[in-house]
Amino acid sequence: MGLPDFLPILIIGLYFLGTAFYVLGSAIRNEHIKKMALLLGGIGFALHAFDLARQVAGAAAAADALTSGRFLFCLLGFGILLIFLLLWWRLKMRFLAVVALPLALVFYATADATSGIKASLPPMLSGLFFLMHIGTLFASMALLAMGAGAGLAFLHLEKRIKTKIGLKKFQQDMPSLDTFDKVNHWVIITGFPLYTFGLVSGFVWAWLSAKRVFSFDPKEILALVMLGLYAYLFHQRLAYGWKGRKPAVMVIGVFLLTVVSMLGINFLVPTTFHGFKP
Amino acid sequence: MDKNIFLVGLNHRSASVDVREKFALTNVADFEKSLLAACPLREVMALSTCNRVEILVVADGARCQDMDISEAVLSHWAETCNGPLEVLRTHTYKNQGLDAVSHLFCVAASLDSMIMGEPQILGQLKNSYRKAVETGTARVIINRLLHKSFSVAKRVRTETAIASSAVSISYAAVELAKKIFGELSGKTAMLVGAGEMAELAATHLLASGIDKLYICNRTYGRAQELAKTMHGEAVFFEDMVERLKGVDIVISSTGSPTAIIRAKDIREVLKKRRNRAMFFIDIAVPRDIDPDVNSLDNVYLYDIDDLKEVVEENMSARQGEAVKARAIVDLETDAFATWMKSLALQPTITDLLGRAEDVAQRELAKTLKRLGPVDDETREALEVLVNSVSRKLLHEPICFLKRRTREEGTAERFIDVTRRIFNLDGDPVHADAHLDRRTAEDDEPMDCECCHDPEPEAKETGKRPEHQ
Repeated sequence: MGLPDFLPILIIGLYFLGTAFYVLGSAIRNEHIKKMALLLGGIGFALHAFDLARQVAGAAAAADALTSGRFLFCLLGFGILLIFLLLWWRLKMRFLAVVALPLALVFYATADATSGIKASLPPMLSGLFFLMHIGTLFASMALLAMGAGAGLAFLHLEKRIKTKIGLKKFQQDMPSLDTFDKVNHWVIITGFPLYTFGLVSGFVWAWLSAKRVFSFDPKEILALVMLGLYAYLFHQRLAYGWKGRKPAVMVIGVFLLTVVSMLGINFLVPTTFHGFKP
Repeated sequence: MDKNIFLVGLNHRSASVDVREKFALTNVADFEKSLLAACPLREVMALSTCNRVEILVVADGARCQDMDISEAVLSHWAETCNGPLEVLRTHTYKNQGLDAVSHLFCVAASLDSMIMGEPQILGQLKNSYRKAVETGTARVIINRLLHKSFSVAKRVRTETAIASSAVSISYAAVELAKKIFGELSGKTAMLVGAGEMAELAATHLLASGIDKLYICNRTYGRAQELAKTMHGEAVFFEDMVERLKGVDIVISSTGSPTAIIRAKDIREVLKKRRNRAMFFIDIAVPRDIDPDVNSLDNVYLYDIDDLKEVVEENMSARQGEAVKARAIVDLETDAFATWMKSLALQPTITDLLGRAEDVAQRELAKTLKRLGPVDDETREALEVLVNSVSRKLLHEPICFLKRRTREEGTAERFIDVTRRIFNLDGDPVHADAHLDRRTAEDDEPMDCECCHDPEPEAKETGKRPEHQ
């Protein structure tokens, strides 16, 4: 077995070990184990990038790679880690590794399971469309994933502080409530414009290619519901200064809808342009 | 053991404060010198703080076999303090040999402190040791024992969570504030009313980097007075609620019989501050802050009982860590016993020759590898060469040690130095090992372990605080 054949298993293994070690390191408060987990995740991320490049280079036409189910899920997992690295670098939010590594694992493993499946997407306008629609939507989904992780951590820690249950050892190591809320803020103020842009570009492309904007398929309906929720969250956060519990709960809700949309509707429900149903 | 170690002492458990006061050693150096002169001892070191007095002595087994060393030390101690020997005898504990070693390690690691895990005792022990070194009453055994006790304390702190959580109410409040806001720089606090604990909490908040402290009191003059000492800003009591919109942390400790901060007020304040989190610390009894405040989003309220519970939980967590710490102490006590045995000449000669042979064999193996295939005769000749070089090099040092052994009182020092020069015990040498040899003048004066509030020091060292 050459390296390319072996590569997906290696990446899955690295992400799995990275996740397991990070959780273990956090539970027993061992910094060395956490660093080792990040190193394993980092190697997995580098190989993941190599795998993506290999898929693009190996495809007969760029559109073949861009419309392949494996490539798209691979890209989503990669995007989540990329956004995590950005948040770690800019906002020192390393703790989000506990969310980013398992999600990268899930999406990469899903990608591997969707080999051979192609989206029912005409290849025309693929390069520009890909950047405007998939790129922006995946970036906003990755942000939502980070926001959901931070939201769950916020709710857990807040409950313990509010109800005075006391903080266990690993909870004492967790960042402050303010830090989790800051993640929520960044997710909403950057994620909503990206999501809106991604959705609008999709509708524009649908009009250009099929001369209709809306097909009333479940994917599009859910996307509009999510856009509405996202817009409400964006408004409440910026205009009314929503902070803490409410935006945390809503970001988790929107992220769950994203998962339903990506893993549920794409695979189980027939749609106009987004079907991965074999 | 040829040398016997004795430790006589009293602490907060064995003696009440009046007994501790009576038998505190005001001039430790003089006591050490006079004790050496009065008793046939080799080494003496004493530690005297508000909570304990520990007298550590080393005596020759042969010279002191007909003498009760502990009793002699007690008599001298009672005489020095002009106190009744009988009282002293009933309030002291006596440890000998490895029990004394283990006790000292426990003291250094703060396992025997009133607040387990507090950091002051180690500084006080280091200070006492330096004084004993300067006085010349600490020699080979005490040197080694104290250095070992410092490393045991360091190990306990790094390998266990004995000092990892707040055990004072005021510091627990600051820790909670950090859990809510993260860094406290840029935050604003308000002290409502006055009271020792509230002022202490405000001081800790200031030390943690809060930007501004408002002080509000029914008596404006008192608020101004406090504002002056705490570098804060006085606020009229009537303006308190209005000012809360710019305040993140509120510490309340008034004598008001009813709540002075109500949930409906805070609901309005939250709107004005766009839901930024607020943390209320209510130290007053009866409470100053309506408990319903805690049910508001982004508002956290802790009263004195809640904080006490946090402290108690942290204390019990420390008790759990103490089990791990005691295991480390036991391990290090065994290691010290091994070192004591090695202070005899024969084990040192054996270790020295063993080390030399080991080095010789390793170098021989390297040389043979470089030379390639050689005949047996050459190999034997080389072996004889390296072995005889190493033995001859060590011949004079071994003869020197044998001569010193015949002279009473100097052998241990030279044996110890030899063991350290050749690192026969395989001890790691830390980069900061030289720091323990500094004189007392090099250091800042140290506070007493029980009179000093430990939190600010803990902040500087990155460790959490505790009281002794």
